[in-house]
Amino acid sequence: MRDSTLKYLLVLPAIVVVFATAIWPLFESLRLSFTVGRLSRPGSLEQYLGFENYLWAFLYEPAFWNSVWVTTIYTILTVGLTTVLALGLALLLAPGGRFRSGVQTLLILPFAMSPALIGVSFRFMFNPEFGLFDAVFGVLIPPLADVSWLVDPVLAFAVCVMADVWGWIPFLTLVLIGGLASVPQDTIEAAQVDGASGWRVFRDVTLPQLAPVLAVVIILKSIFSLKTFDQIFMLTNGGPGTATQTLSHYIYFNGMKYGQIGYAASVAWLMVIPMIFLTYAYAKFVFRRE
Amino acid sequence: MAEVTLKNLTKRWGDFVAVDGQSLEISDKEFLVLLGPSGCGKTTTMRMIAGLEEPTEGEIWIGDRMVNDDLPKDRDVAMVFQNYGLYPHMTTFDNIAYPLRVRGTPGSEIEPRVRKAAEQVELTQFLDRRPKALSGGQRQRVALARAIVRTPKVFLMDEPLSNLDAKLRVTMRAELKHLSRELKVTTVYVTHDQIEAMTLADRVAVMKDGVIQQLGSPDEIYNDPANLFVAGFIGSPAMNLINGSIQGGHFVTTGGTNLVPVRAEDRKEVVLGVRADDIRVSEIGQGNIDVPIYAFENTGEATLLTVQWGSQRVIAKGDRYLRKEQDDMIGISLNPEHLYLFDPGSGSRIRA
Repeated sequence: MRDSTLKYLLVLPAIVVVFATAIWPLFESLRLSFTVGRLSRPGSLEQYLGFENYLWAFLYEPAFWNSVWVTTIYTILTVGLTTVLALGLALLLAPGGRFRSGVQTLLILPFAMSPALIGVSFRFMFNPEFGLFDAVFGVLIPPLADVSWLVDPVLAFAVCVMADVWGWIPFLTLVLIGGLASVPQDTIEAAQVDGASGWRVFRDVTLPQLAPVLAVVIILKSIFSLKTFDQIFMLTNGGPGTATQTLSHYIYFNGMKYGQIGYAASVAWLMVIPMIFLTYAYAKFVFRRE
Repeated sequence: MAEVTLKNLTKRWGDFVAVDGQSLEISDKEFLVLLGPSGCGKTTTMRMIAGLEEPTEGEIWIGDRMVNDDLPKDRDVAMVFQNYGLYPHMTTFDNIAYPLRVRGTPGSEIEPRVRKAAEQVELTQFLDRRPKALSGGQRQRVALARAIVRTPKVFLMDEPLSNLDAKLRVTMRAELKHLSRELKVTTVYVTHDQIEAMTLADRVAVMKDGVIQQLGSPDEIYNDPANLFVAGFIGSPAMNLINGSIQGGHFVTTGGTNLVPVRAEDRKEVVLGVRADDIRVSEIGQGNIDVPIYAFENTGEATLLTVQWGSQRVIAKGDRYLRKEQDDMIGISLNPEHLYLFDPGSGSRIRA
């Protein structure tokens, strides 16, 4: 057998697996998004509606717009907070020293936890009867003793954001420490001698040189924030009401709980649009040639 | 415009002593070179003057102000880094303008001053390029221009020529010397290249293990080395250091029987230092002693003869038209005016 034939044969199993588990479902979901697609109604998976599902989401579903809104705010807040806090931590840890390796090891722990587990543990920690946070807040700030965190829509949302920020800071910090290490020390010292204050060194010299890494961090985190599901599912399950219902959660609910597979598929494809932009931007930053 | 004074300056990292109780007075407008092998503490000394490194002990004075607790930005020094430290995201113009901008120079003054600095280092046609689009020599000029664009009290230069290729280094060295004589600003220059030290300096401080071994004019350190280290470090080829003893006013090599008259008392152990150009090469029988040639090298401008003298090898510089072969016998004679005697134990110079 010729080498060129053999190499395709060797890759073939991988292609088949990817096709069966990713490519086919992708196109099948696109097809389903144009059907009535109710799991409870036989034949409806082949009953085509055109763009009606999409229009339905836009025109008649306040819950859809609610989850768009929740996802947007959630993404902006988690990306912003995580990036700023991770950058601050990275700047503190970047000089190295004995202190750093210890902290770095500790830092990686939250990232080692699965998002679902983070969701469960935060739910327990905010439990009004035996939750850790509840107890601590009660002692430190007595007026907060009786607050039921996960019952109030705004507070529940805040807890979701907090859990996500907590879980993501370590990874982003590590990435940014790596980014800071690639900023030549010479340029920072040159700026110091040139007369720049600490803040101006950061703004004029460190930040511009860190920008490519920072951009990758922000884009990556945006993608992850946009598709957040497991943590929310375990922590609040979208509630109270729909206060913390992200798009992924909304899609899951419509598809799996209500059996409206066609409609859920169409919303999922709507979500693809911002994802494509972000992925494109990511690829541009990561694979750009100098 | 200022003197720089170091008083008992010490820098330690744990048990490692980088700079050991160093005191040094650099006069106003002086060009001082810190010279030494890597790890001798010369760069650390300069970084402490710049404020990039905190001294463990001692004081640093610039002008009449002790600057130990001042941030680099408040010391009014300008520094040229070994790797230039250019801002990669800024154009040449912005790089040069940065020290002015950050110090709040009025906008109308910036452009003419940047242009003048760029002119002084012949960079005017590259002002809108980024460092990436510049050659090594051009980057070096940008770093220089950034230092001279304002008039700092002190220039600090950390091996500024070491990243350039050999040819460019010679050109830039001359330009640097011209520029320094034109600007007349106190300068501290760090290098491990003795030629740079010899050619640029008003005074050279030769350092080893965090301690200044000798401080003097280039002439002094070349012609009157204070100890074995300075003698061996300065000069290319390095000074010949020959082990032996002094018996009845004559130097006798270890394992050899050959005698050279020296002006010193008898000693059991001594090191004789002699530069290659102070050894005259002649035909057999016409020198102090006859020796076989171990290797003959023709460098074009001169010839270098490594000869076997007893159990030791010695390098002599011959006439550029001299032609010899390996194992030929020649006579060599040592110029008695330029012989240096050192104590092999302490390394210190033995003066007559």
